[in-house]
Amino acid sequence: MTATQSLLAVLLTPLLSAVLIAFFFRRMGKVASAISVLAAACIFVFSLFAIHEAGNETVAFSWNWLYFGDYSVSIGFLFDGVAATMLTMVGLVGFLIHVFSLGYMANDQGRARFFGGLSIFMFSMLGIVLADNLIMIFIFWELVGFSSYMLIGHYLDTDEAAAASKKAFIVNRVGDLGFLIGIVYAYWHFGTTNLSEMHGIVAANSQWVSGSIAALLMCGFIGKSAQFPLHVWLPDAMAGPTPVSALIHAATMVAAGVYFLIRIDFLFPVEVLQLIAWLGTSVAVYAGFCAYGQNDIKKILAYSTLSQLGYMSAAFGLGYPGIALFHLITHAFFKALLFLTAGSVIHGCHHEQDIFKMGGLLKKMPITAITFLIGTLALCGVYGFAGFYSKDAILIAAGLGNTPVFVLLTLGAFLTAGYMGRLFWVAFLGQPKSDAASHAHESPLNILVPLIVLAVLSLGGGWIGFWPEQLGALIKDNLDHLHHMEGYAGMHKTVLVAGSTAWIVGLVLSLFFYGAGAKEDRLEQKAAPIYGFLKARLWFDEIYGYYVAKIQQRLAIFLSFIDIFVIKGIFVRGSAGLVGLVGICSRSLHDGNIHSYVYWFLAGLLALWAAASGIL
Amino acid sequence: MGHLDTNSIFLLIAILGPLATGVVLLFGARFNRITLRAIAAFGFSCPLIIGLLLYSLFEPSLAGEYNFELRLPTGLESIGIYLHLGLNGISMPLFLLAATVGFAAGLYAMYSNAERLHLYLALLLCMLGGLMGTFASVDVFFFYFFHEFALIPTFLMIGIWGGAGRRGAAIEMTIYLTLGALLSLLGLIALYVQSGADSFSLLELRTYLTAQPLSETVQNNIFALLLFGFGILVSLFPFHSWAPKGYAVAPTGAAMLHAGVLKKFGLYGLLQIAAPLLPAGADHWFPWIVWLALGNILIIGLVTMAQKDLKMMLGYSSVMHMGYAFLGLACFSVIGAGGALLMMVAHGLSVALLFMLSTCIYHRSQTFELSAMGGLAAKAPVLAGFFVAATMASIGLPGFGNFWGEFTIFAALAETDLTRWIVAPAAIGIVISAIYGLRAVAHVFFGQPKEAFVARLEGGKITDMQAFEKLPACILIAGLMLTGIFPRIFSDDANRELAELYPQEQSNLPMIQSAALPADLEAPKEIKH
Repeated sequence: MTATQSLLAVLLTPLLSAVLIAFFFRRMGKVASAISVLAAACIFVFSLFAIHEAGNETVAFSWNWLYFGDYSVSIGFLFDGVAATMLTMVGLVGFLIHVFSLGYMANDQGRARFFGGLSIFMFSMLGIVLADNLIMIFIFWELVGFSSYMLIGHYLDTDEAAAASKKAFIVNRVGDLGFLIGIVYAYWHFGTTNLSEMHGIVAANSQWVSGSIAALLMCGFIGKSAQFPLHVWLPDAMAGPTPVSALIHAATMVAAGVYFLIRIDFLFPVEVLQLIAWLGTSVAVYAGFCAYGQNDIKKILAYSTLSQLGYMSAAFGLGYPGIALFHLITHAFFKALLFLTAGSVIHGCHHEQDIFKMGGLLKKMPITAITFLIGTLALCGVYGFAGFYSKDAILIAAGLGNTPVFVLLTLGAFLTAGYMGRLFWVAFLGQPKSDAASHAHESPLNILVPLIVLAVLSLGGGWIGFWPEQLGALIKDNLDHLHHMEGYAGMHKTVLVAGSTAWIVGLVLSLFFYGAGAKEDRLEQKAAPIYGFLKARLWFDEIYGYYVAKIQQRLAIFLSFIDIFVIKGIFVRGSAGLVGLVGICSRSLHDGNIHSYVYWFLAGLLALWAAASGIL
Repeated sequence: MGHLDTNSIFLLIAILGPLATGVVLLFGARFNRITLRAIAAFGFSCPLIIGLLLYSLFEPSLAGEYNFELRLPTGLESIGIYLHLGLNGISMPLFLLAATVGFAAGLYAMYSNAERLHLYLALLLCMLGGLMGTFASVDVFFFYFFHEFALIPTFLMIGIWGGAGRRGAAIEMTIYLTLGALLSLLGLIALYVQSGADSFSLLELRTYLTAQPLSETVQNNIFALLLFGFGILVSLFPFHSWAPKGYAVAPTGAAMLHAGVLKKFGLYGLLQIAAPLLPAGADHWFPWIVWLALGNILIIGLVTMAQKDLKMMLGYSSVMHMGYAFLGLACFSVIGAGGALLMMVAHGLSVALLFMLSTCIYHRSQTFELSAMGGLAAKAPVLAGFFVAATMASIGLPGFGNFWGEFTIFAALAETDLTRWIVAPAAIGIVISAIYGLRAVAHVFFGQPKEAFVARLEGGKITDMQAFEKLPACILIAGLMLTGIFPRIFSDDANRELAELYPQEQSNLPMIQSAALPADLEAPKEIKH
């Protein structure tokens, strides 16, 4: 198998699986799940083949999809080191989550639909990873949006899922609006949307133009990676099944926005990078605060995802796409782990999601609890864990490049440790606080095995020296570059101290403040206004809700009124009425009375005479 | 005068087949259901079979001319009217569209519980015959004639089998559309008179007008007649009032064929006849049309969002999407025209599917009121799947043809400096359509059913889609996906034709990479470096 054939196999296997499930195994959940998991395994194997075959070379491959005149769209692959790294992660994490879903969704009514959706998602996601041009990225971008819509809405009989799926799709569409305009402009400006060709020409173009195109394309990233101000859909998206949250809304799809930025990083001038750095930093801190106002285990993790995506975009904005990629990969491992362990908890606690109704799970579900702890430590950036290396690199980069960003990101790290500590202490320690928690039981093996594998990755995934040489070249480059920066040694120490202080203080403080196995949120009791403020999340949802209901919908209703009363009523009916009026008037002349005809005749004669003699 | 092709006889059969079957069915009051369906099945399938056959025989090398040409005397030779049939790269996709939608609508209608089914099917067949004729006509007179021929059964079907309020809607639609048709007829006659070709054949008109273009004023005036005449027929803003209510009350088959296919007549007339023959007129008017088209997209888009009735919403959304097709035309370039063509085909398939599915929903919910439904997906998952797919198609999800239409039109708008700004307002439409589309899906299928609806759900026997509903839906979805995944099945032939008819923009590309040239890309290439 050549590299190209392997890549085609990678892309088409999940599509085949989705088609098979949709057409033949809609009612056979077991068969459908087996097909989907098998497909995920094949994807991973084929990815390894492709990486092995390609070696350190870039594989590019394209053919024409559609053309009219000068305009042409091609479909193709650009398989380089970055794509290979991403592909490995998506293949591996995707496969593990598929296996997890076998156990987690075993008793679900819509299992076939769920696994079909997962396959469509894998297809779309891999399309983004491999795509060699903007249009193709956009196409698969929309398709991941669709699969996300479908999977968030999996529990379709709940109003919550219906609303959340709709919201996710529409908010993403808002971002895609800018993305689409950016692509179209890029096409006519550069004459191509092919990534490597654009890379070749971009230097010859004015910074201002490529910068504005980059800013437009960035809108797509803002939507998909849930950055300000389009972040509102991600917490709601937790209405979907937990494996979906792990796969789509933590590890892969939301990170696709960052991956996209890395693919087009040559387009970005410094000003736009600055903007992204600040955007990321603000989300990192904002989401960190929001997490304290949440009691739902998945929502806390969702805000954590938002915050970590902020770190990635901050790294990108600071000019280190490789470090952003690094954090993307390690985050995928530990956040997938955290969501899956949360899934295991929810599974064990009979669908209880409120952490203040859990408690004592360490004893009831030891393996889940320990893997969760590993994930937590990785997320907090404890020395040696995967998250440490990438977060450390981001903080160093910030420390050397932009001090306010550095300070805020360190604050973010502290907040992270705090809310993760709160979650862990409250849910896993102490005594069970509800029937569901006291009847909790450890999950079956097919749920635990993926957890253990991911726990190992969360532990060792950051040891980049052990990565295969085909992967992570960009990361190593960026890290090397950072190492050779002036002041690296000093900053390295500062960050080590600041970072370690942040997580130690965060974890310890949260233990003291909330208490192990607390029954109620102490912040809510002691400082209700602060808790209320955090829970309100700066009222973004309220503001958007107001806009949609009071401005947009009212405008729509007003226009609808205009359409019916002015266009249809006055113009259309009016002109019909006018015709009718003429008819009535002229009919009234035909009254059948010979006298009136004579008078009219005389009047006409008079008028003619007047006209002829020039009086009129 | 062109060459005669033995295959051209099929073209005649594609028109006469449905018509003859329709005539037979007119006297079919006593037929039993099976006979009735067998006869109708022949009539509905004959255009599709022929369409596919002709598609496979189509010779793209004849760009600028017609395939399968046939010229029969009509007794009106003295004024240059022949029954002149043929297909080119522009009409072929629409011919196939008409055949496909006709087949799907026919299948659905055959199993519907309409009263006086034989009459209903007969009218639908007449409509289909007229449609096939419209897109197969090279002769402008017959192009118009067949359109009117298809329009009359539409009015009758709405008047007889329509829903509540059909009288008013049918009358309004009749008057409005007749007005539009008359304007365009005036335009066509003016074209005939002014060109001096003494012929209604499009080919001869083209020869004459290329050799001796009309003066600018004359072009402007004729073009205005055609533009607004055709514009009314395609529900160009603000001449759209007939459409939503008309479709809302129309019986399914009529709505599918009219919204899906017959409405495209106006766009097709502009694309194939008006714009290429009257380039100066097009140049003069298109900048103005842009504003009206934006009215379609933005104003009608918002109006669609305010709809509370599923069918009204679909009617308005179909008006909205016509705005994109007009924008494509207004670019007056190969790309724009190509995008408009893709849009027409894809929209035809998707809107027909949506109208059909809305009836399927109605049979289960007994209402079109969005707020009164909910939770239907639990009872009818397949229907939900089809409806979601159709909605996604109509809001331009990649993988369905509509995406290529919209995207190509955006690309065409951005091609020249003059129209580049339009991309941004036009693209807002993709958000608007997502909002109303997904809102409808959520209202009908997701969440908990509303109280009134629960009673129906529990009381009545609500089933999922039946075979006679699935088959036409599958055909239409397959069409949408084919155009979505392999847009070149139409675009290649159309591209050659459009390159003959439309000005190529002098492109201001800094460079066109070799990969953009289609010729060397028939086969995939692999580069390792």
